[in-house]
Amino acid sequence: MVEILTGFISGIVSGTGMGGGTILILILSLFMGVDQHIAQATNLVFFVPTAITAVIVSIKSKQIEWKVGVPIAILGIVGAIIGAKISINMDVAALKKYFGIFLGLIALYEIYSIVKSCIDFRRKRNNNNK
Amino acid sequence: MIIKILIGLLSGFVSGLFAAGGGMIVVPALIHLLKIEDAKARATSVFVILPMVVASGIFYYNSNYIDWGIAIKCAIGGIFGGYLGSKLLKKLPTKVLQIAFTCFLIYVSTKMIFNC
Repeated sequence: MVEILTGFISGIVSGTGMGGGTILILILSLFMGVDQHIAQATNLVFFVPTAITAVIVSIKSKQIEWKVGVPIAILGIVGAIIGAKISINMDVAALKKYFGIFLGLIALYEIYSIVKSCIDFRRKRNNNNK
Repeated sequence: MIIKILIGLLSGFVSGLFAAGGGMIVVPALIHLLKIEDAKARATSVFVILPMVVASGIFYYNSNYIDWGIAIKCAIGGIFGGYLGSKLLKKLPTKVLQIAFTCFLIYVSTKMIFNC
């Protein structure tokens, strides 16, 4: 039941387009005590069906930029194989720490983009008042 | 071309290492570095990340890290949550969501880094 609720919450976040995967991993590993590797693997399984549906919808509505997407996807597979090989051999405590650092960097980027959009908004408003 | 190669390698590496967060790299990179509009960047990012997830999934599967009991239950909840989330997206202010998400990230990242 707790797992279904976890999926439900992550699903809501994914639906709004903001890192549902990280939420899923964090709830499982930090709050439910699931091993970090298993939490991460759960997210992989969780992602595939929704992503396939989303890709089919996007192909039909012609929203995919193939010229950009195909080369990034091919190199992405190479990167993913390297990352996964390192991850599965890594000690859980270290993996958790690196994941924390990665999330911290994402948070910094989010703060930067929030501040930037506030500044842009003010500038626009000031220009309109002139 | 070099930018595409770097975006691919970096987001793939993150996807494989943490099994999450590839999108958080691909979407801003497509928008800011390759000047693709928001909706197309999001659609393209899902297409790009899918093969990375499948590739890393094979390694996690081979190492017996997939717990199907947890995964299937989470997926069931996820189907309903995803539907509700995409409906809510049109009604909720994205700024508020973004600030809430950022606060949550700061909290969990300090918790994970300092192990408290």
